[in-house]
Amino acid sequence: MIVAERKPIRRVLEAIEPYQRVLVLGCRGCVAICSAGGDREVETMAAALRLARKRAGRPLETGEATLIRQCDPEYLAPLREWADKYEAVVSMACGVGVNLIADLFPEIRVYPGVDTTFYGANTALGEWQEKCRGCGDCILDLTGGLCPIARCAKNLLNGPCGGSQGGRCEIRPEVPCVWHQIYERLSARGELDRLMNFFPAKDWRPAGHGGPRDRIREDLKMDK
Amino acid sequence: MAITIGVLCCHYTNQAGEEDFQGIPGTVIVRRYPCSGHIEVADILRTFEEGAEAVLVAGCEAESCHNLSGSQRAEKKVQGARKILEEIGLEPERVRFAFLPRLDTGPFMQEVKKTFEIALTMKSKS
Amino acid sequence: MEPRSHLHRVLSEGHFAVTAEIGPPKSADGEVVRKKARLIKGYVDAANITDCQTAIVRMSSIASAVLVMAEGVEPVIQMTCRDRNRIGIQADLLGAAALGVKNLLCITGDHQKFGNHPEAKGVFDLDSIQLLDMVRRMRDEGKFMCGEDLTGARPEFFLGAAANPFADPFEFRVKRLAKKIAAGAEFIQTQIVYNVERFRKFMEMARDMGLTEKAYILAGITPPKSFGMARYMKYFVPGLDVPDEILKRMKEAKDKREEGINLAVEIIQQVREIPGVAGVHIMAIEWEEAVPEIVKRAGLHPRPLEAEVRPAVVVEVEKPVERVEVVAPPAEEVPEEAPPRVEIPVEAVKEVFSTVRSSIESLREGVNLLHDSLARLERALLGGEVVPAEAPEVPRVEVKVEERPPVEEKPVEAKEVPEEKEVAEEKKVEEKRVEEEKPAEEVEARVEEKPAEEEKPEEKPAVEVREEKPVEKPPVEEKPAPPAEGVEIGSFSGEYRPLSERAAGLPEDLYKEPGTAFIREVEIGKGEKAFKVGGTNVLPFHLFEGEMRHEPRVAMEILDVKPENWPESLARYFADVLDDPAAWARKCVETYGAEALCIYLMGTDPNYLNLDAKHAREVVEKVAGAVDVPLIVWGSGHAEKDVEVLREVAEVVGDRGAVIGPVEEANHRTLGATAMGYGLPVVASSPIDVNLAKQLNILLENVGVALDKILMDPSIGALGYGLEYTYSVMERIRLAALYAQDDKLQVPFICNVGREVWKAKEAGLPSDETMGDQEVRGVLMEAITSVALALAGGDLFIMRHPKAIELTKLIIKELMQQN
Repeated sequence: MIVAERKPIRRVLEAIEPYQRVLVLGCRGCVAICSAGGDREVETMAAALRLARKRAGRPLETGEATLIRQCDPEYLAPLREWADKYEAVVSMACGVGVNLIADLFPEIRVYPGVDTTFYGANTALGEWQEKCRGCGDCILDLTGGLCPIARCAKNLLNGPCGGSQGGRCEIRPEVPCVWHQIYERLSARGELDRLMNFFPAKDWRPAGHGGPRDRIREDLKMDK
Repeated sequence: MAITIGVLCCHYTNQAGEEDFQGIPGTVIVRRYPCSGHIEVADILRTFEEGAEAVLVAGCEAESCHNLSGSQRAEKKVQGARKILEEIGLEPERVRFAFLPRLDTGPFMQEVKKTFEIALTMKSKS
Repeated sequence: MEPRSHLHRVLSEGHFAVTAEIGPPKSADGEVVRKKARLIKGYVDAANITDCQTAIVRMSSIASAVLVMAEGVEPVIQMTCRDRNRIGIQADLLGAAALGVKNLLCITGDHQKFGNHPEAKGVFDLDSIQLLDMVRRMRDEGKFMCGEDLTGARPEFFLGAAANPFADPFEFRVKRLAKKIAAGAEFIQTQIVYNVERFRKFMEMARDMGLTEKAYILAGITPPKSFGMARYMKYFVPGLDVPDEILKRMKEAKDKREEGINLAVEIIQQVREIPGVAGVHIMAIEWEEAVPEIVKRAGLHPRPLEAEVRPAVVVEVEKPVERVEVVAPPAEEVPEEAPPRVEIPVEAVKEVFSTVRSSIESLREGVNLLHDSLARLERALLGGEVVPAEAPEVPRVEVKVEERPPVEEKPVEAKEVPEEKEVAEEKKVEEKRVEEEKPAEEVEARVEEKPAEEEKPEEKPAVEVREEKPVEKPPVEEKPAPPAEGVEIGSFSGEYRPLSERAAGLPEDLYKEPGTAFIREVEIGKGEKAFKVGGTNVLPFHLFEGEMRHEPRVAMEILDVKPENWPESLARYFADVLDDPAAWARKCVETYGAEALCIYLMGTDPNYLNLDAKHAREVVEKVAGAVDVPLIVWGSGHAEKDVEVLREVAEVVGDRGAVIGPVEEANHRTLGATAMGYGLPVVASSPIDVNLAKQLNILLENVGVALDKILMDPSIGALGYGLEYTYSVMERIRLAALYAQDDKLQVPFICNVGREVWKAKEAGLPSDETMGDQEVRGVLMEAITSVALALAGGDLFIMRHPKAIELTKLIIKELMQQN
């Protein structure tokens, strides 16, 4: 899922400073699952904004709503009606939601309520870890299913650097060295020779260094 | 100088009634929940919105929570609320959590009094 | 094949090669590079020029290489993958080749996290192996990475790579080396070798794979400059293996530098015996002067071939060469075609004289310092001025054993056993000027073995506050102390009956429950005045069931700048010294008998005066020079600034064993390393939470700080400002440590009390009827906070008011006497 983190409330307050009526808009997609932008977080954010503004002597009215998703135009439709009632929208969805609202409703002032952080897995209660970087050219078939792009601090492709010690990354001792893990995985499978192959420099265009990416699936597209 | 405090508590932490709160020289907003684990950060913030200077969240002692970890969760929620208070420029000490024996109003009222004292300090500071 | 470089020639002709490392400066001063080059000229075959090593911005490797060439030394430039993408790297390498650079070492580079711009975006477009492959194809196939032809001159580099035989997984290290050689590496420089056995094994595996036939392997050598550096490398540098034997030798050596050089020479001799080792690469970090000595003693001087370094660009020499200063090779070893000698210019001679003169100056200062210390020692030992660090006479407790009806021994089951369980002790602290107030504090140390059935109302343990003159005055008053009539501390009176007596007849295990572990002992300071804290296996003052090897201690706090908002009732004790930290420190020790000092570097706070690390260093130096008690240096609490400040300070107090802090999660890595480097204890500060405190200890341990070098600062709240909360968190920590085998919490507490108390509004309010006397109030607030926290497990307290300290110590002393 896409993992996000509540923005410092101060930053959100700064963004909505001029307004009196604000809609706090959650998303039931990834951000709800990672407890950053679902119903509960919408309530909390709205209450915090109101409280801060009340203390500052400039009371704020908030609306609270949570959509099924914010990354699909059809789910954003209700915004058309709500737009008149509010001067601004604080979106608790990932950056995709904020962008799509801005694309579709140029008249709506939309501000982010979360920082979108990474694609990750829920590894324990209250804990998420990055597992993929969306580099557009998956090499997990060669590395035992463990990604050196997302999980190695130096994106190495030809084995662990000299800072790998005791299976730990030099960056932070609590981070495992993914290349050490790949080594052990392949070693257990008797596929170590894979690591002896030279891995050529990566083409970073599919990773986004070639400009914004899009995807077209012709069989689903309807001709106008 | 009227002072308001909020008390969000697990129903099983006390049997305090109207007359118990009369000893508190201010307004006490009381909200009872079937378990303190049910109390959300937003509930705490809303109580402040209603004018509370300080809020007490009370749950059962860790080992006696009917829902096993309800009160421990509540304690963490209080931590979450403190963080938000700090972010918006309020003293985190304004909200506190107390683990209390089940259905014993005495200790509960003591915590309420302490919370009131905090409210008093906060009010006089501001 | 024609050798690609001088280094290549040395190696290909079968000579044992020597390379060294030159670290460019963090400035645009080319002279630094030239000087380093001159130092090692004639002793090495080539010199590596690092490329922003440890990710710290320095003069570029290629530009420095040109300066090095101008001095007649052949450079090996380094190229990391951290800072440039494939476009930048290829462009820079074409340029380097055009400037006459012949050797290139391809490495991935240290992660930017470790440097001075951790916010930077790391590039890592390529990894080191892909980089080698790219350069080899530019050179041999005349192709850019994209496949386009490189027409015209190609970059003819002699290609090198790094290898770390000590990183994990060990078996893969040789395979990775093979990959690098297959990608194009012709020479290899290894990570620093201290563990020769492991290196030998690595070389054996390399030989088995035929790698020593394909590439020249140079073993990395670094002379440790000090014990601290050796320890730092052992615990903090990932991928470095420093055996305990090396640490031990450095620790025991009298002349650390000499021993460092010896170690390097020995390792060179050992690795030279290993088949396949083609040379050594000496990395004398910030100690290039050591290189000639090492090379000479290892029998590797003179070098077999003379380098012909012809820079493509001639760099004008601005300053005349200071030949005089250089540890120049003996004249006969100067190659025949040495550049024409520059005549020694007058300026250079003048400079030499001034250097010598200033050295004499500092020697003289040293001698003066010695004189002073000697005089102080003499005074302390032979009298004259006695330093009342340990108060010679302390108010005694009057212990009256009250006569009670003898207690009959009864079986445990008997319900109506004695009523004496009630009172543990009676104490009275007499104080002047605190009138008919309710007991200001209750030193209740009630021990109840069984639930009391009845209460005996007439016996209440409490501190009574009376209007009488104190019977005894503490001896600290002997000195003409500043206006001290404010508060006077009385003594204890009352009686104490040991628990064993009161519990007579009860089986011991019924009321004794000592902890299952001990709190670690942490040594504060070094030498005669040093003391330890911690070392208890029971809850505070439960001396009846276990031991407290060390009593709680108090450090007096002084500030680096004159405090602005201290209430008069506190400031007047130090009025004459507030703007002179050294005099202040001396007053604390000599007049008030402080057994330790805490220097709070408040002025360095970026949100306050933002004074720099140099200021901090000066203050600490002065204080360290003025007193000999153990020191605690407490930074501003700004995580980043403290790193800078405390690093500087650690250098000054390194050999005093001073405690430094506060270390937080945000800076635990850097400050942890600093502390380890000097073997100093740290203050681990966490925001009043059991788990956060524990987590910080774990983090510190992970970076190598031993638990017995940690003092936990739970972030305390003063009386009326969350004291109960602190108490409960500390109590929970201590219970977990003693009774739940939580070994990460078995660490003493340090409580920064003074600062919290004296910033409270109530401490500064004027005297009036409701609030009472200002000074008495403040003193009591500080003492009560400390005593309460001592009861929660506090081991070391930082306090401000001399009277509050006196009162606290008195109570602690009494509590320690009862068992």
